[in-house]
Amino acid sequence: MSPLRRFLRTPEAVAGAILLAALIAMALSASLLFPGDPQAIAGPPLLPPFQDWSLPLGTDRLGRDVLAELFHGARTSLAVGLAAAAAALVVGAVVGTLAGFAGGLVDEVLMRITDAFQTVPSFLLALAFVSVVGPSLGIVVIAIALGTWTGPARIARAEVLSIRERDYVAGARVIGMHPLAIAFREVLPNALPPVLAMSSVIVAAAILTEAALSFLGLGDPNRVTWGGMIAEGRTVLRTAPFLSIVPGIALVLTVLGVYLAGEGIVETTAVRRGLS
Amino acid sequence: MSGFTISRRTMLAGSAMLLASTAMPTSGWAQTPKKGGRLVLAADSEPRNLNPAIVASNGVFFISSKIVETLAEASFDGKDGLAPRLALSWEGAADGLSATFKLRDGVRWHDGKPFTSADVAFSALQIWKPLQNLGRTVFKDLASVDTPDDLTAVFKFAKPTPFQLIRNALPALSSVVPKHIYEVGKIEDNPANNTPIGTGPFKFGEYKAGQYYRLTKNTDYWGKDEPYLDEIIYQVLPDRTSAASALEAGEIQLAAFSAVPLADLDRISKVPGLKVISKGYEGLTYQLVVEINHRRKELADVKVRQAIAHAIDKDFVVKTVFLGYAATATGPVPKNDPQFYTADVPTYAFDVAKANALLDEAGYKRGADGNRFSLKLLPAPYFNETKQFGDYLRQALAAIGIDAELVNNDSAAHIKAVYTDHAFDLAVGPPVFRGDPAISTTILVQSGIPDGVPFSNQGGYKNDALDALIAKASETLDTAARTDLYKEFQKEVATDLPLINVAEWSFISVARDTVGNIANNPRWAVSNWADTYLES
Repeated sequence: MSPLRRFLRTPEAVAGAILLAALIAMALSASLLFPGDPQAIAGPPLLPPFQDWSLPLGTDRLGRDVLAELFHGARTSLAVGLAAAAAALVVGAVVGTLAGFAGGLVDEVLMRITDAFQTVPSFLLALAFVSVVGPSLGIVVIAIALGTWTGPARIARAEVLSIRERDYVAGARVIGMHPLAIAFREVLPNALPPVLAMSSVIVAAAILTEAALSFLGLGDPNRVTWGGMIAEGRTVLRTAPFLSIVPGIALVLTVLGVYLAGEGIVETTAVRRGLS
Repeated sequence: MSGFTISRRTMLAGSAMLLASTAMPTSGWAQTPKKGGRLVLAADSEPRNLNPAIVASNGVFFISSKIVETLAEASFDGKDGLAPRLALSWEGAADGLSATFKLRDGVRWHDGKPFTSADVAFSALQIWKPLQNLGRTVFKDLASVDTPDDLTAVFKFAKPTPFQLIRNALPALSSVVPKHIYEVGKIEDNPANNTPIGTGPFKFGEYKAGQYYRLTKNTDYWGKDEPYLDEIIYQVLPDRTSAASALEAGEIQLAAFSAVPLADLDRISKVPGLKVISKGYEGLTYQLVVEINHRRKELADVKVRQAIAHAIDKDFVVKTVFLGYAATATGPVPKNDPQFYTADVPTYAFDVAKANALLDEAGYKRGADGNRFSLKLLPAPYFNETKQFGDYLRQALAAIGIDAELVNNDSAAHIKAVYTDHAFDLAVGPPVFRGDPAISTTILVQSGIPDGVPFSNQGGYKNDALDALIAKASETLDTAARTDLYKEFQKEVATDLPLINVAEWSFISVARDTVGNIANNPRWAVSNWADTYLES
């Protein structure tokens, strides 16, 4: 059975893939469907959803189109989630590989640094970083990556520790390859699959962290973010609850979609590896 | 659409209330006050220093004005808008070099010692003049205070000082603290700053951080039969949405200073047993102002500033950001000020086409992307409304081809960025008008202020004509002539636009029907509440 078939046979994975595809479609089509600034004032303030079909999800306190904000917010959430996860995975894999492959003092130093980062709760770290450096999209990405690279680093190191004793590594040494070349050409690619298996969890966590930072007012104020929308809506929670509920639902579905699709991929690839 | 119609009606009702509040001179409650009871109300901040003589700010007054009294309080119907407190009468000399205060007899401090003119002299010379944030300006020429007897204090000034200014400053700047407590050690470190001792109707009880402040009745108060309440509890509720639910649940009986979000007022006004009151803040008008950094060459051009003024739809701001609980502004003195306001100033109607034309004229053509230039916009974080106006301003500027980048900071970082580092192009600020332009308004446009003074002209603006006008008004003794100079000042500011005044707003109280004598003076929330009572 092909992996794709197996993937399609798992209902959770399919549901996740559909959600994820919808999210990506939203993010990609945002500029086409809602050209211009999504924060532009489009109608009367606090218009409830399903009243005016040119503004299907209503408007917020300043009269901005909630649907347009939702689409553009998908873009921010996804961009931050993917970029932060990619950064965390790259940094984690590199640090883990170096530590595992070099061993000795390098291993000790790198792993103690990892320990230091792991002892600080990742959300606090992100919070502190953003409030010191100032909120902008790049900073938020770095802040989230700062707290999440340690997991991939530890897993990569564990894998590398076993891989470096394999015969083909010894072979590479014998033919005189540079240790760094061995580490990154021979060892790292083989250590990656378990690290990548973590990616869906990291992406989901990164999206949530971004939303939480924006909710606390530490997101980039010049971009629409779902967390920011929820925070805005909170002040009128009793009179216009849809302003918080709509982006809240979007956030739940996104995190669920990423997680389910990620799990599906991991399951299918794991089964394949097990069979081969 | 039904939801929108209702909220629009409320907006109009709100503006009507605000207008009416400035016109109605007296309060309408005429019931006999009941004695006893505990008033529980919402507090949204927890000031560390509770000494109103040092920190003259509304957050401190809200709590400490019940404990420490001033020489006089603002009043709707009193002479010159004042009612006597610790002083019974006041009079300025014709040469502006002295002012005489006759003090109330038989007043005792909370620790039993008698209140005398020595306490007034000590407070004025040792605290108001050197230490107080606002007193530093108003009392800068105070040379000495003579105390011919225990009940007379004569302020002597080194330079002629307009008595109108001193009079207007009395409600906010003249908190009297006990000399016998403060003469030992450094005034700033005195423990009484955290547990104040005064002459007021309530004594300081206790403070539990993050929970409450408790004030208890002063049984030895000078007011006959006053105070009526036994206790006041300030319940710390930093989350604005929780104040509304606490009121509905009956956990608190009063939420002042707009602790209930404006958007909730429509709903809460329909809850039986609760009333929404927009009176009682006439003496505490906040101004929504666009602060401008004149060091930017684009903003140094008056045409660009005029264009920005034309791009702001003030009516939209009042209706949407303030839901009608505000008024549009014409200049640096708010419309509800009875002494100084003049409507005879240049105005800037909302006109995007004109704004665009002005920018073209100034030589800032739109580029290929439709933008003329980019700016950094820093909205002050203190109020939801200042932040929302920042969002609106960004859109309003986009319509005239100015790309504004919003920069959000917390309070401390905002004050540093704007008033010390000058790292802004435009900022949204909420300065307070305190009954006289010389107290905290002229400082917003005057030149020569050292870096780092918050809520002052840190935009590098310098206008010799305006500076001369301010200097002349500060030494003009005749009330009518001085008032005219400040009318001239308003005209000059509205013409040259060192900053752009957008709106003026005050606060809203929500209270249970059982709370009596609410909003019976223009600074009610920060007055002494000696006559506030609870019906069973």
